[in-house]
Amino acid sequence: MAIDGLVILDSTGRPIVQSGFRSTSPAYPLLHIEALNDALSKAPRPADADPVLYVPNTGIDGPSACCHVKRGELRFLGLMSGDTDPLYVFAFLETFISILRDYFGQLSAETLKENFDVVYQLLEETLDAGGHPSTTSINALKDIVLPPSLLSKVLSVAGVSGLASPGTNSHPFASPIPWRKVGVRYNSNEIFFDVAEELKAVVNKNGGIIVSSVWGKVHTNCRLSGTPDLLLSFSNAQPLTDCSFHPCVRLQRWSRDKNLSFVPPDGRFILMEYKYTPGGVHHVAVPFALKASVDCEVNGGSFDVALTSRLTTKVLENMNVELYLGEGATSASCVVSNNTSWNFDPRTRILHWNIKAVSPSSSFSLKGTFSSTAEQPRPSHAFRARFEIPQHSFSSLKVDQLKITGEMYKPYKGVRGRSTGDVEWRW
Amino acid sequence: MAAFRAPPRKGENFELSADLNSEYKEKRKDAIKRVIANMTVQKDVSGLFPDVLKNMQTDDLEQKKLVYLYLMNYAKTQPELVILAVNTFVKDTDDPNPLVRALAIRTMGCLRAEKIIDYLCDPLQKCLRDENPYVRKTAALCVAKLYDLKPELVIENGFLETLQEMIADSNPMVVANTVAALTDIHIAAAAAGSNTEVFVITSAVLNKLLIALNECSEWGRVAILNALGRYETHDDRESEHICERVVPQFQHANASVVLSAIKVIMIHMRSVRSETLTKQLVRKMAPPLVTLLSNPPEVQWVALRDINLLLQKRPDILSNEMRVFFCKYNDPLYVKVEKLDIMVRLAGPNNVDALLSELKEYASEVDVDFVRRSIKAIGQTAIKIDEAAERCVNVLMELIGTRVSYVVQEGVVVMKDIFRKYPSTYEGVIPTLCANLDELDEPEAKASLIWIIGEYANKIDNADELLGIFVDSFTEESYPVQLQTLTAVVKLFLRKPDTSQGLVQRILNTATKDCDSPDVRDRAYIYWRLLSTDPGAAKAVVLAHRPPISLPRTTVSPALLEELLGEIPSLASVYHKPEETFVGRGRIGADAIPKGGSEKLSRPLLLASKPRTCSTSTTLPPTMDSSQPVLPQQPYSPRRLQLRTCFRGHQATRWTTWYRYLAIRVSGPMRHHHLHLASHRHISTLSVACLSVDNPCHQLLR
Repeated sequence: MAIDGLVILDSTGRPIVQSGFRSTSPAYPLLHIEALNDALSKAPRPADADPVLYVPNTGIDGPSACCHVKRGELRFLGLMSGDTDPLYVFAFLETFISILRDYFGQLSAETLKENFDVVYQLLEETLDAGGHPSTTSINALKDIVLPPSLLSKVLSVAGVSGLASPGTNSHPFASPIPWRKVGVRYNSNEIFFDVAEELKAVVNKNGGIIVSSVWGKVHTNCRLSGTPDLLLSFSNAQPLTDCSFHPCVRLQRWSRDKNLSFVPPDGRFILMEYKYTPGGVHHVAVPFALKASVDCEVNGGSFDVALTSRLTTKVLENMNVELYLGEGATSASCVVSNNTSWNFDPRTRILHWNIKAVSPSSSFSLKGTFSSTAEQPRPSHAFRARFEIPQHSFSSLKVDQLKITGEMYKPYKGVRGRSTGDVEWRW
Repeated sequence: MAAFRAPPRKGENFELSADLNSEYKEKRKDAIKRVIANMTVQKDVSGLFPDVLKNMQTDDLEQKKLVYLYLMNYAKTQPELVILAVNTFVKDTDDPNPLVRALAIRTMGCLRAEKIIDYLCDPLQKCLRDENPYVRKTAALCVAKLYDLKPELVIENGFLETLQEMIADSNPMVVANTVAALTDIHIAAAAAGSNTEVFVITSAVLNKLLIALNECSEWGRVAILNALGRYETHDDRESEHICERVVPQFQHANASVVLSAIKVIMIHMRSVRSETLTKQLVRKMAPPLVTLLSNPPEVQWVALRDINLLLQKRPDILSNEMRVFFCKYNDPLYVKVEKLDIMVRLAGPNNVDALLSELKEYASEVDVDFVRRSIKAIGQTAIKIDEAAERCVNVLMELIGTRVSYVVQEGVVVMKDIFRKYPSTYEGVIPTLCANLDELDEPEAKASLIWIIGEYANKIDNADELLGIFVDSFTEESYPVQLQTLTAVVKLFLRKPDTSQGLVQRILNTATKDCDSPDVRDRAYIYWRLLSTDPGAAKAVVLAHRPPISLPRTTVSPALLEELLGEIPSLASVYHKPEETFVGRGRIGADAIPKGGSEKLSRPLLLASKPRTCSTSTTLPPTMDSSQPVLPQQPYSPRRLQLRTCFRGHQATRWTTWYRYLAIRVSGPMRHHHLHLASHRHISTLSVACLSVDNPCHQLLR
């Protein structure tokens, strides 16, 4: 099991950050970068390039491979040799990306270049030179690598760097619980649970649901003092299936009575992920209906789309309907209902239709034509609709109560639901 | 990068050197940062080594880290200078701050300079017994690095024993990292040819691992699970115990942990005797596998490749979950391709209708490659599920009716496969297929249609007319089409001798005289000879009954499947190839492979029959399974080996040609029964297959 190192490329495919690669020649990362750029240019769409690239001849220790993911404008490469698990590499890349996000907020080539010293320190701490990820828990990391902050900048300008140094913490990793710091103190003890659910569905042209599933995540923001031991119970946890948990959750307890017993990490984390499977009814309903007809003619075509909300009380927000108009599509012109907007991106050849808010049982329409250089245009056979429903959860998961042991205070608990949807509607 | 390139290099380094020696702390730190910035854009700042080194002794941990970073980068090229830093390193391993101690020991391990290693042992000894778990864990990993550089030092100092003791450490993090270090050393020792097992997992160790498993980080869990996979259980009770303890890991959020846990279960389930427990375990495997599909596409792809493998061993795992694998139009192609494969694998009489309507939908998609694969999947479904074949044919005919060129071509190829499986069943569609003759421009589609015409020559009234078109353009066609035309015309002649005498004469003439492919010429000669000496034998050979094709349940041999399942999740399991074929230290040629145990290989026949000069190992097809022929595996009989030797010198390019020569030489005047008697049963079936079809099932099925 060995991750040789990590490389971050900017949007033009040039490396901006790369880890040590101490055991190999300097050409090693370059060969991988070259192989990747080559594969990207050969793929019909960049997203279609294989995620694990095999690099046959690096000339050092036999062949190796390169796993890559793209996040924003940056592309992250995990290089590995030997018979390593690609998932291990992907999992590390994801973790590292979330650490960077936590440290710097939005990721861009600029922020990374600006804070390269922090980035390199993070690389050193998270990936051991032997290829094993080491400290990746944000809480522990913040003890040893100080995030860039206004305070440290002020201090460094003032020339008192010693104060800002994390060396003042003389008990790093002294906590018996690896994900929680010792000695956390808050004036008001609060914990917030955000239940975020995403509906993923495929619907056929008659409105019949082919696949629909709801995936949920419980985002948690914990601001509790000391070492609290929590017991969270839900009033309707039965339809939650295929769950996976943050390592802090005691799995035995969950399988016994579907209660979550855990000592939370400090700050933000994802407590659990689940799939919502309603009993009895097979599918979760899609909260809107789409009636569409698309006609293709020579060098173009026309379409007529009507969207109706099926909800009775809630509002669908930021509805975005898109249609790929096919290779060669050059332009489109549309007439849309009030309060909606459309645009056509000639680079991706996707037509977007945006509706800020779809109020209960309201309808909207989009009519238009498009032209294409292809004689027989082949637009994609499905619309993709994405939307949000604030203050709503498909599973209507309810937190019953939160018990705390190990600490004397009574915490404030906040629970919120929000839902998003990503529906493929065929025509 | 251009932003860093402002002043001329010499001047910049000079300035930096001055700043590094500044009396102001902040100026020095800032200079170090600039040095590192230059270093990371591959500028040479090695000249500043002594100046940077002066800044190593500091209370500022951040500055210390940056200096260490610099040292690690240049230690390899300037080992003599690193010696100057040794004292500070050794002193730092005694620092009251555990972070400094860990940092020092970690950096010393990374320097990879011969000279510094000798100074490493004493501090390492101390750090392995440090009171702080972070230091202990760092030191444990350092042992593995030391072993990589100088194994004898590790053994002399008894570090291995220390590591083995550390498995009993009270801190799970330390246990996990110790396991990782021991595993690394174990693998390195095995690769170096050492006979002694470095990391033996006893039942005492096993218990320690099982306890630490629930408490350490995800990376630690992966290391421990990998070690558990190596453990050899003594009885079924022990196996059951391991399975029960590992199953909760299915609910971990990290995909790598989940798949490693599944691997451990697959390995130890082999020796679980209780039927109910096995069933229970298989049932519990489905939810985590489904959960993996909610990950980003890259992770999905790896998971799908592994699921594909798991399904070959246990088709029942996801039998009710086919819908999860339905493709979305904006999935990346590599995900769609894998999903298609798995959907066909999960197809059964109860879900085939849903599958077919999905596949039909995909066949109208934008992406040509995906459309072709979907059509192929319809064919595979037809071959797999007898009762659904008719529905599949109907869908195919509908698709061919769209007259989209590549849909029609792929449809024709697939129809040929269906005719191979269900001979004389769907003859009604033949006129529709023939009506699309002009649309076809791809060799495979053409060859398929020609095969169909030849096969059903007696039922197609204008078969001679249709084949005549191809005979006219014979010399312009590609070789597969030529071969197929040749065979089809001979079939036509044998079935309707009166109307096609002229046609067969013409094609045999053209093929033997004007064709530049030895394969085509050879085949024409054989047919000619057969027809002129014994038409009865010709009938028996050319119109022989062909074994029906079937969809292979596995894409790899059973032995390899077991091996790969034991390696989930790894590159080997993702590529569906044994590890040694692509990560071997040296190149493995065709010669080496049979020695390594031919039972491990999926296709010994093919490998052995390739020309000797060709090395097969290091060229790994990128991701898709290569469509190499899957031939029935049979051990070499002495007879065949002998024959092989006779023809080794022959300039044969493909095995079919060999067997064809074989057939001629062995049987002299071509008599079918001679052919049969003279050679091995296997050879005769093969030669009959290539004479009459030249379309062994490997071309039909992936």
